[in-house]
Amino acid sequence: MSNIIIILAIFGWAILTYIAFRLNKTLGNIFVGLIAVALPVYYFTYVPEDYSFQVMGLTLQFGFTSFSSLFAILVVILGALTLLYSIPYMNKKDRLGWFYLNFLFSIGGMLGILMSKDFVSLFIFWEIMTWSSYLIVIFSGKKVNKVGVKYMVYSAIGAYAMLMAIVLINKWSGTTNISHFFETFADYSNGAKILSSLLLLTAFAVKSALMPLHVWAPNAYTNSPMSYTSLFSGALSKMGIYGMALVAIMLYTNTGMKFFGEALAWLGAITAVLATFWAVFQTDIRKLLAYSSIGQLGYIAVGLGIGTELGVMAALFLALLHGLFKGILFMAAGAIEYRTGKTDFSELRGLIWKMPVTFFSALVAIIALAGMPPLSGLISKWLIYEALLSSEHYFLIILIFLSSTAAFLYCFHFLYGVFLGQREDDIEDVKEAPALMLVPMVLMSFGLLALGTFPGLIFKHISSSMSYLGFNDVTWEMSVLTNEWGNKIYLTHLNTMFMVVFAVFFVIITLVARKKTRRVGTKDIANAGEPILAEDNYHFSQDFYKPFWRVISPVMKYRIETFYNSFANGIGEFFQFFRRVYTGNGQTYALYVVIFLTILFIVGATLI
Amino acid sequence: MDIWKLLLTGSVTTVLAFVVGMLYMGLRRKITARVQNRVGPPIYQNFLDVMKLWSKKSSINHGFMQHVAPLWMIATSITTLMFIPILNNGSTFFTNLTFEGDLIMLLYLMVVGSLGMALGAGQTGNPNSAIGVTRGLTQMVGFEIPWVMALVALMIQHRTTTVAGLLDVQVQSGTWLMLSSPFAFIAALLAIPGMFRYSPFDIVGAPAELASGPISEFGGKYLGTMMTNGAIFAFVKLTLFVDIFMGGASNLGFLLLKTFALYMFPVLWGLVSPRFRTEQAVRFFWGWPVFFGVLGLIQAAI
Repeated sequence: MSNIIIILAIFGWAILTYIAFRLNKTLGNIFVGLIAVALPVYYFTYVPEDYSFQVMGLTLQFGFTSFSSLFAILVVILGALTLLYSIPYMNKKDRLGWFYLNFLFSIGGMLGILMSKDFVSLFIFWEIMTWSSYLIVIFSGKKVNKVGVKYMVYSAIGAYAMLMAIVLINKWSGTTNISHFFETFADYSNGAKILSSLLLLTAFAVKSALMPLHVWAPNAYTNSPMSYTSLFSGALSKMGIYGMALVAIMLYTNTGMKFFGEALAWLGAITAVLATFWAVFQTDIRKLLAYSSIGQLGYIAVGLGIGTELGVMAALFLALLHGLFKGILFMAAGAIEYRTGKTDFSELRGLIWKMPVTFFSALVAIIALAGMPPLSGLISKWLIYEALLSSEHYFLIILIFLSSTAAFLYCFHFLYGVFLGQREDDIEDVKEAPALMLVPMVLMSFGLLALGTFPGLIFKHISSSMSYLGFNDVTWEMSVLTNEWGNKIYLTHLNTMFMVVFAVFFVIITLVARKKTRRVGTKDIANAGEPILAEDNYHFSQDFYKPFWRVISPVMKYRIETFYNSFANGIGEFFQFFRRVYTGNGQTYALYVVIFLTILFIVGATLI
Repeated sequence: MDIWKLLLTGSVTTVLAFVVGMLYMGLRRKITARVQNRVGPPIYQNFLDVMKLWSKKSSINHGFMQHVAPLWMIATSITTLMFIPILNNGSTFFTNLTFEGDLIMLLYLMVVGSLGMALGAGQTGNPNSAIGVTRGLTQMVGFEIPWVMALVALMIQHRTTTVAGLLDVQVQSGTWLMLSSPFAFIAALLAIPGMFRYSPFDIVGAPAELASGPISEFGGKYLGTMMTNGAIFAFVKLTLFVDIFMGGASNLGFLLLKTFALYMFPVLWGLVSPRFRTEQAVRFFWGWPVFFGVLGLIQAAI
């Protein structure tokens, strides 16, 4: 038995699910639920082995490495949870068979990428993943031209870059085996090194939305159904990180081409800062989360780019963590959309009273995103700062700090704009999301809570996967973090201290004057003696960070999209010129023929 | 670690921080009054205020997040206090959890309270509260940058990320870091008024426009907790700064002297300054303080 069977089984099941949905919706949903349960059970109990076969002179090889199995854990867990979440979320929509066909194909494609040991199968699965995600991005049928084409064009740029790299590598080394490429990379000429690695990096950077190749991401994340976006941002974009890690560590750090690693880190930092700034000013919750995703992937690129042990550890930890908390946040956005039909800050408010479970899951995810104790975000932030400090990146660390401080702004905007603020009657009949949508969110919140005190649960896998990248003997402890200078933090003490003080004061403040605490509505507020009428609502949602915009607007004028658009317009005008020649009118073409014959006649006559 | 010892020393440290912070705030009111040619309240007025607030018969509550917001703040302050060295003479009494955390963690720990406050203020439904919070967060993006620049310069130069480590450097060399790294010190010092939110950076509370902003819906026991927290947190910030830049203190007398001298900087600056607008505040922090921060980083790099 070979492990390629997993992927074939998923693809087969995808087609069966499609057929099932054609027959009966309930049957289809049962099929989806079955694969959602079977996927993790199968993955965690089955011991895969390597497998290879020959086709048309190429050897295709499959098998997990210790590095790729780290990402496979994320894909399997998040894939299963988003499938479960999809069942109620998508229930009212049409063409479900088509949706789940593509959904399962992208899960299978991702696992295929992680299993590929040669570039050809990597490319095939990469394309399966890209196509299935494209078909889901345009699934709603809205903005197909604007969003779909953009996504397709950037994916095509990535795919062509990868294809070109594969062809070149095959020409130079005669084989498409990935580990063979890494082993012999040091022997390549300098030009070959730079060209092949940059082409591969381009392909991966497109998927992980690194600036300046990020333009497709905000709209594509927004336009696909939220249940898929959880997977899209949480796991699918991590395929880019997977490849980027291989390129940055195997090709740059391990062969002494540090300069390119530094450049990648700077790109990542700029991505983190600008994407965060854009996230601050979004008025749609999905867009806000999409920009935030781009920013977070920027941090990961920084960790990979500097390529020290702590840096890579931080990047891999954040990659997994981002899957969890952004998974929760997109699911929460989906739950809000499902229950209210709205996603704009100007239309939402006060949902904490109606959707408390969603609120607390989102709160946990936001605390983890912001990097505050007692949750696991602190660990990823801590690791990345320590990595930058001990490798003496003075200015990079300031950029990262700017980005993560500005991230508090959109974190607050998300929680306040949707869940808090003045209640209004229009949310009176809103209910909490269905149980099947809450379960994945709550499960992942517990994961974040547990990792906040016991990150060793994940460090175990990270250290074994880092041995593949050439970092042997990565030391880790269950709940103590240590940097390269020997400074430690004891997470158990920190978190216990915080929670104990919190609990003590919770008891005090609840008991003091308990009977006399008046519980009032959100319109019973101090308002300079003027009561707020029933028809008024003073919820603050317009121009949320106007002063901040005034400060940074000089920088925000320069958008790479403007450049791309003017480039596209220039190309368009260039081809407009040809349009004048090729008018599509038969008479014009007849005229061309006559003119051509006349010229021929004259030239011929003069020659003879 | 001995839980009971931590409980004892931790409580003593907390009470010390509370008393000192309260007295400083009382002194500030007195000094402000004298500068404005008033008599002013007695120094112990803040103790009376807190007692009054805690014994108020009723308090108003808009929901769960508002209920837990003050707890969030005070838990943050007390936890942070436990990780900060009070004295530099190696006495084990005030050690608490000093050797179990570092500066990066403290930077993140110190903002947890603001998040709790922001959520609590958001739930009250008062638009002034939410506006105040957005202003506060914007201002934070401003002053954190020079502050972090200063800390990064020191941490890389002395190859340690702990407060205790930086304190050791100063004890062993006998020189305060404010003298050996003057640029980083100036950058950090200019960021301090932003942290204290006194005029000209009192844009969050802004009595004239926002009617005290985020705290406007908090009263009774909630406001009492917040005042307690304010006193402890002021002590935390001052002690942290003294530890990092001014060599710490070998006994409580020196600690009071140094922290008070430092505290006078934002207070006296505030007395003679009108309020900035939010964007002016951020531009201020990203101007000269960042310039000195860059100089500090260059000094550390050479």
